[in-house]
Amino acid sequence: MAAGKHATPPTMEMMRTPLYFDYAATTPVDERVVRAMVECLGAGGCYANPASSSHGPGREARGRVETARREVAELLGARPPEIIWTSGATESNNLAIKGAARFHADRGRHIVTVRTEHKAVLDTCRQLEKEGWQVSYVTPGPGGVTGVEQIEPALRPDTVLVSVMFVNNEIGVINDLAPIGRLCRERGVLFHVDAAQAAAKIPVNVDEIGADLLSVSAHKAYGPKGVGALYLRGCPKSRLEPLIHGGGHEWGMRSGTLPTHQIVGMGAAFRIAAAEQPAEAERLRTLRQRLWEGIAGLGGVHLNGDPERRVAGLLNVSFEGVEGESLLFALRDLALSSGSACTSASREASYVLRALGRDDQLAQSSLRFSLGRYSTEAEVDFAIRVVREQVDRLRLLAGGEGTARLEAI
Amino acid sequence: MQLERLDYSGEVRQRFEQAPRHGRVLAPPAERLGGAAGAIGRGVRVEFEARVRGGRIVECRFRAYGCPHVIAAASWVAEQAEGRRLADTDWLEPRRLAELLEAPAHKLGSLLVVEDAYLDCVGARRGPER
Repeated sequence: MAAGKHATPPTMEMMRTPLYFDYAATTPVDERVVRAMVECLGAGGCYANPASSSHGPGREARGRVETARREVAELLGARPPEIIWTSGATESNNLAIKGAARFHADRGRHIVTVRTEHKAVLDTCRQLEKEGWQVSYVTPGPGGVTGVEQIEPALRPDTVLVSVMFVNNEIGVINDLAPIGRLCRERGVLFHVDAAQAAAKIPVNVDEIGADLLSVSAHKAYGPKGVGALYLRGCPKSRLEPLIHGGGHEWGMRSGTLPTHQIVGMGAAFRIAAAEQPAEAERLRTLRQRLWEGIAGLGGVHLNGDPERRVAGLLNVSFEGVEGESLLFALRDLALSSGSACTSASREASYVLRALGRDDQLAQSSLRFSLGRYSTEAEVDFAIRVVREQVDRLRLLAGGEGTARLEAI
Repeated sequence: MQLERLDYSGEVRQRFEQAPRHGRVLAPPAERLGGAAGAIGRGVRVEFEARVRGGRIVECRFRAYGCPHVIAAASWVAEQAEGRRLADTDWLEPRRLAELLEAPAHKLGSLLVVEDAYLDCVGARRGPER
């Protein structure tokens, strides 16, 4: 029976566990995307090298690559020549930050970023620090939202780049980017945005936010892993120091044979997202609210991040009186992410939640539920039931009295 | 954290799920001992209660905040304590407990908290709180 054709809601026994609540980590490839990709594989497919302009199959492959470039550009409000293919958002972030910093090193060696950025940005900045750059790591504002109030005091005359993510990958808050973009433009500072968690989930327009550089990935948007893109304002011929040399592909910014099937997959994924995003966001917002209300009824549950400025499908919560590793193991029927690094000796809690001021216990007991295209109401209801049962059980094991005690407080 | 890293032995899984000997001892104060160690803020907190008659533990219960290894260890200790004399504490050795539970090396500190809580309960704490 096809999904969604059940006469009655599926029972727990009918669901295949663990149920997937980790769409912010990655997404399955949409079947429509799979079909587009398969057309580019195999002897009968569009497999030629897109750089082989001397023959028809090569030109056909190039045509598909350029169609995908238009599709990605369209979702971002960009022009196709401003899109550079990469292997994913991590490479895009590296190319944007290292490439811009090194290219503009004669203008200054100072970068501003945020403590709650993804490691792909933070580790790249740390590498530049080893190479002699100075980096200011600012703390986000209330609710984990970063705005111009946080960025402006950190700017210096020698600042060449500001890097702020669009949507935080752990707590889902949407940063206030447009004022930062305007400030950067006024000061002549490049503005990079990691939009890996934003593209295909919320409207992204590079002009509205004033981004000079913007990183995206296919696999967060029901496309394949291993492909992404970097938006570079203007014609990307002389604004970045490339990281990869050899062949001069992508205007010399990123050499290497273009993976036609991956790129076509990313284009298809972004085209589908452009058409379906508004309705999908509304559906996910309803599911997320249902999940939050179901879990919050336990008592002693804290929502992490601003309650309003957030993407539709992401909910990050912390539980009082529950230890993170036990919580995650107790919830092994749900595939989700934890803010706890509890299997390591350090017991280091989420650096994002710590930056927001959560204490160790709440940071350790945080869970990130991220919903997506295939999430259903029945799955959410199952998750609510399992979470309530297990949190109650663990609180009782710890000597608390479960829901009854917390509701009485 | 990745779920596949949550790799526990059968003993730990069973004790985590069933939590045998969890709870409180219902006994008159004269027969009841209690002790605790650790702190929730540090990730591990364990409490034991014992019903004692004639210097011998007739019933032992635990409460634990911690990872599955801690819960399993507290359960095992409470179970093993029953029938023993208060002064008999040599049977409780955290390294052997770690072997029994197949706990990774970095969990030994948490198992020491379990030991401390039990020793506090039976009034035989061996040194400063760990």
